[in-house]
Parts: sequence; structure tokens; C-alpha cells
Amino acid sequence: MKRILALTLSILLIFTVLVGCTPKDEGQDVGEVEENVDSVEENDVVENGVEEETGGRIILATTTSTQDSGLLDYILPIFEEETGIEVDVIAVGTGKALQMGRDGDADILLVHAKESEEEFVAEGYGKVRKDVMYNDFILVGPKEDPLNLKENSPNDILEGLKTIAKNEYTFISRGDDSGTHKKELSIWKEAQIEPAGEWYLEAGSGMGDVLKITDEKQAYTISDRATYLSMRDTLDLDIIIEGDENLFNQYGIIPVNPEKFDDEVKERINEEGAERFMDWLLSPDTQLLIGEYGVEEYGMPLFVPNAKLD
Amino acid sequence: MDYIQEGFKEALKLLIGFDKEVYGIISLSLIVSTTATIIASFLCIPLGIHLGLKEFKGKRAFSRILYTFMSIPSVIVGLVVAILLSRRGPFGKFDLLYTPKAMIIAQTLLVTPLILGLTYSLSKNRGKEIERIGQTLGGNKLDIIILIIKELKLDLMVNIVTAFSRAISEVGAVMIVGGNIRNRTRVITTTISMMNSMGDYPMAIALGIVLLIISFGINSLIYSYSGDD
Amino acid sequence: MEISIHNLKKYYGEKLVLDIEELKIKRGRITGLIGPNGSGKSTLLNIISGLDREFLGTVKYDGKLLDKDIYKKMTLVFQKPYLFRRKVYENIEYPLKVRGVNRDERRERVKNIMERLEIEGLKDKKGHLLSGGESQKVSLARALVFNPELLLLDEPTSNIDPESVKVMEREILRFNEETNGTVIIVTHNMEQSERLCHDIIHLER
Repeated sequence: MKRILALTLSILLIFTVLVGCTPKDEGQDVGEVEENVDSVEENDVVENGVEEETGGRIILATTTSTQDSGLLDYILPIFEEETGIEVDVIAVGTGKALQMGRDGDADILLVHAKESEEEFVAEGYGKVRKDVMYNDFILVGPKEDPLNLKENSPNDILEGLKTIAKNEYTFISRGDDSGTHKKELSIWKEAQIEPAGEWYLEAGSGMGDVLKITDEKQAYTISDRATYLSMRDTLDLDIIIEGDENLFNQYGIIPVNPEKFDDEVKERINEEGAERFMDWLLSPDTQLLIGEYGVEEYGMPLFVPNAKLD
Repeated sequence: MDYIQEGFKEALKLLIGFDKEVYGIISLSLIVSTTATIIASFLCIPLGIHLGLKEFKGKRAFSRILYTFMSIPSVIVGLVVAILLSRRGPFGKFDLLYTPKAMIIAQTLLVTPLILGLTYSLSKNRGKEIERIGQTLGGNKLDIIILIIKELKLDLMVNIVTAFSRAISEVGAVMIVGGNIRNRTRVITTTISMMNSMGDYPMAIALGIVLLIISFGINSLIYSYSGDD
Repeated sequence: MEISIHNLKKYYGEKLVLDIEELKIKRGRITGLIGPNGSGKSTLLNIISGLDREFLGTVKYDGKLLDKDIYKKMTLVFQKPYLFRRKVYENIEYPLKVRGVNRDERRERVKNIMERLEIEGLKDKKGHLLSGGESQKVSLARALVFNPELLLLDEPTSNIDPESVKVMEREILRFNEETNGTVIIVTHNMEQSERLCHDIIHLER
């Protein structure tokens, strides 16, 4: 232990010496340095001025799949430019995102687990929940499709899962309590199968990681289309089953309700910013933008906008 | 605040009730990190002692590089091992990625520079003196290396434990090369990280407690050992 | 063992620290090395002991250059004793072990030398936990136990208690008389050199 300490100290020492040297060299011409100080201060004032004009920042808790798809990187800069509100995206599983809302750690949520979301609003943590868009899930698997699912049931996910379970073919589950994981479990339930055993691997990871594991193990998995398409070139995996209604996935937006918290937390929630973000996301222009995303790169949209205008 | 209390209660239940999954995770952690530490120790202790005693050109540069590698971020090790073991990578045919073996490889690489560096600096600082005594008493090269290992036994043990602590507490490398697959490659740290992102605290807390106990346990073991010597 | 030194030069970097044209140290005698600090006494001892091999010139032992055989016949006791982190008994036993002496004989010899240096009581104590005087007696015992032909002593009695000094001096003399072993001792203490030494070599800076 002592040795490590000594080592750390000596590294620190080296840094200190290195850092310490610089001002010494520059400090020789004192007059000049002082002159510079004034201009630096002026700059600071200007910067602060700009900051005050902005709408501050909001914390958006969302799922890893929205982040991984690249949609947010595509649309958020536009919002930030229009409104001056900075959006800090925290991409986590739906479970954690909802928990963040309950703890008052997020201002607004963009998630896709309708039941849990409605429960969240019913408990009073969310003000409203509005549909934003949907995407769909797909079953992906090895290019050779060893179980011939593509041939036998290209649009029937229930049949596909039954075949996988019957053959005990390796299937990778997200296993992380995310919206996608919940969706997958609900489809298994629909197919009346309880997935368990050597063949059913729960990765406990995000979609990107799960796709990589699926690729390595040449297994099957259920993925959202967006993440799969964005990684398609690096994977030896094909879309095996798609277009089943069971695979559709609705995203909702929920601003967190500050009234639910005590004053200390309440103060920190940016209610106005969250409202503006929601309105913007549901506006016709933005909806159009969402519908465009992915067409250029993948030849098909990743998300279908379906906000209802009141 | 309630959920913290609840979390602790549930955590204790899992531990006392010998929850199968929790103990599976703990034992995999121990197996992976212990194996990695042992492999790295066998390779690096004799080599470190030898290099510490030997005068060679560029020894200072070598020290500097070695010491830098001692604190190599675990995610970088994970990344490199993942690239090498991936099906498209040079060692793809062994089908090792996302297995415990891959995790052992990654952690071995992670602690190798640590053990080598610590042994090397120990040998450089204290080995010389022992080497001189060994020489004046008539020992040959092998006698002397054995003598140094025996003399520095305690410090070497501390180094090994330091390396083990680093291995068992790192999350980056095992997450990347293990994939955190349930009942396969899930270890304490990856589970905690996952449970946190799921907002599910009891198991995370239970495993956090175990990790703390392990760390405290080995550290106090070392201190009591060095205390009565 | 007779030591003959010819044209010995030792540099530390650019600096010449030792320059001996011709020097003979006679067999079976106790020779004192005396000189001011920095005159190279310890350096010379290190060179003779074989620890330091980076020098110019030649050092011969009974007319031969240093080899493995000679190396095993001599030993050096440092000013600052270093004992192994194990029992005193095992410390003293070590040189016999590396010379492949069998167990019974080892026991006999270790016991003998411990009695002579009056350290039987320390037998089971850990080497690194002893006091200065005790440590130095143990390291002398560790040096004498295999009856070296050449015993090199680098200020072995500085900073230790007078009682221990007495015992050590007595045993150094006795070793020299009984085995006719050659002894070279570096010392600052004039009285000590008068008590022990047959020959004195003054090193100048």
C-alpha cells in the first residue's frame, strides 16, 4: 500500500512540477499579464450575459434505444438552437428512467413502456403522457437463419419464438428491465412460453451490446429496428421476422410534475423548459423531422411520428 | 429515503437466505479475479525481481512506461481484449468473447503491469541490498532470486492483494468482454452497475456489501499479518 | 588467502576515487584499512569482495583472478548489518545451505559459532527484530560459520555497544589464529586497529 501511495505522490509531484513551471516562465513579464486580466474579465461578463438569455437546461431521461438510434443527436441541436434550452440526455433503461422521474432527478421522460408510464402518471409523478412516435421491433438472427424462421413465419413473431424455444436455440435477452426487455417478455407471454434454460441468455446490457453478443454467439434476439439498422454494417445478422403487430412500440413523453415534491426538489425541476420541449416535440415541424430521420441513411424511417394534436 | 432502507432490508434477506443467484455472482467474481491474479503473479514476480536487479540500457524509460501502464484504464484493456477475441478478430476462432475465460484474460492483462511494476520497484529499491548479502554469503543467481522472494514475501503479498483488489473491483473490462450475461458472466461489479441502471437496488446493495466485506477482509488480513511480523 | 592488486583504478563517472599501483595483503594476517572519508576504503573492500566488478586493473587471489571457487571462499560483513526476516538460526545457517553442507553438520557448526559469539539465546528470534549489537554479532557469526579463507569487515563495530565490540574483536582474533584465515578490516578507530591488526594500510584521498 505504501508503495502505491508513494508512487501516486510522486506522480502528483511530477504533475505539480510540470504545472508549476508554466506560470513561472510566463510570470516574468508582469506588466503584460496584468493588462490581460482586464480583457479576460470583460469576456467573462459577456459570456455570463449570454447565459442569462438562455432558457437554462432540462434533464431528459430516456431509453438507451432512443440514444443509440441517433435520433436525439439529429433533432436536439435544432431545439437547442431555437429555444436556447440545453437538453442533457441521460440514457438508461425505462425502469431507471421512471425511477429518476420519481426521485425528481429528471425534468421530462421519453420512454416506451405504456403500462408503467400510465401508472407513473396515475401516481401523480407525471403531469400528462402523450404519444410521440412509434418504432417497431424485429427478430434478428444469423444470416443463414438455422431455424428457417424467415421462410416459415416471416411475419409471425409468436410462431418464431415458439420454434426457438422448441429447438432450444440460443436467444439473447436484454434482461435489463428496459422497455425493450419488457416488450420482449410480453411477447413471450403472448406466445405462452416461459423462456428459461441454457439457451436463454439474459445479457443485462443495452441494445447495442446485446446485438454484439448475439452476433458473437450467432444467436437470435429481439431488437428495435433503429439500433439494428444503425449497427447493421458491423453485424453478421439479418432481419428474420418483422411487421407483426405484437412488435410495435409506442413512445410517450411525460413532463415530471413538480407539485409532487417538496420545495427543495421542486425548485430544481425546470417545469417551463420541459413544457416547451414537449410542445416542440409534438409540433408538426418536429414530427415531420422525426419521420425523415433515417431515410437518407438506411432507406427507411426509424420512427413513425404519431402525435395527436389536441 | 424509504427505498434505501427497503434496499438494505432486502439485501440482507438475499445474503442470509443464501440466494443462489447472488452467491453465483460472488463466486464467479472470486474465481475470475483470483485466477487472473495468480496467473499474473507467477509470470510477473520472478520477472519483476529480475528486471529490478538488472542494469540495462533504457531502464529509466522502461520504469516510466511500466509505471504508466500500472494505471491503465480497465475499459481500454476490455476494448483491446474484445477486439482481439471478437469473431472477426485474430483469436476469433477460439470463441472466447463473452465467456468467463475472456474475463480472466482481460483481468490478467489488467493486473500484469500492476504486479510487474510493484514487484519491479520493490526489487529495485530493496532487492539490491538482499542481492549483495546473498552474493557475499556465496549464493548463485537462483539462490538469490529465491532469497529475495522469501525476504520480500510480505511486500509481495501486499502487491498481490493490491492487484486482486483492483481486479475484483473493476467493472470496465469484465463488462466489455463478459457481456454481463445472467448465470454466465455476471460478476459483482457488472451486476451492481446493471441493477443501478434498472433502478433495482436490493441486489446492488447486497453485492455492494459483499464487495466491501471482501475488500476490508483482505486488507485487514494483510495488516494483521504484517503487524505481528 | 593472499591478495595482490595491480594498477587498480576506479571511477565514478569522471571522478577517480581509487588509484592503487601496487598492493599486497598477506595471507593469514589481519590487515587494517585506514584513511579519511572518501579515500575509497569501502570501495576497495567491495572490489576485493567481488561485489563491484567495474574497475580497471587486476585483483588476484593467491595469484588467480576471481572465479566461482574463490567467490565461495570469502565473505564481507557490512557496516550496517542486514539480517534475513527469519530466525537467527536460519540466518547463520544460510551460507552453509548454499554450499550444500548436510543438515547435521550445519546444526553442529551453527551451534558452535553461536556459543562463541554468545548469542545462543537469540537462536529463535527473528533476525530483523534484533538490536544493533545483536544483529552485528549474528552477521559476524553468519560470516564465520563456513570458515572463509578471506574475511572482509567494513567498520563492523561502529555504533554498537562496547560489550558486543569486545566479543566480536575476540572472535575475529580467534578466527585468525585458529584457521589462519586472512582478515581485512576497515576501521576509523585507531585503538581498535592497534588491538587487532598486524598490518595497517593508509589510503589517501
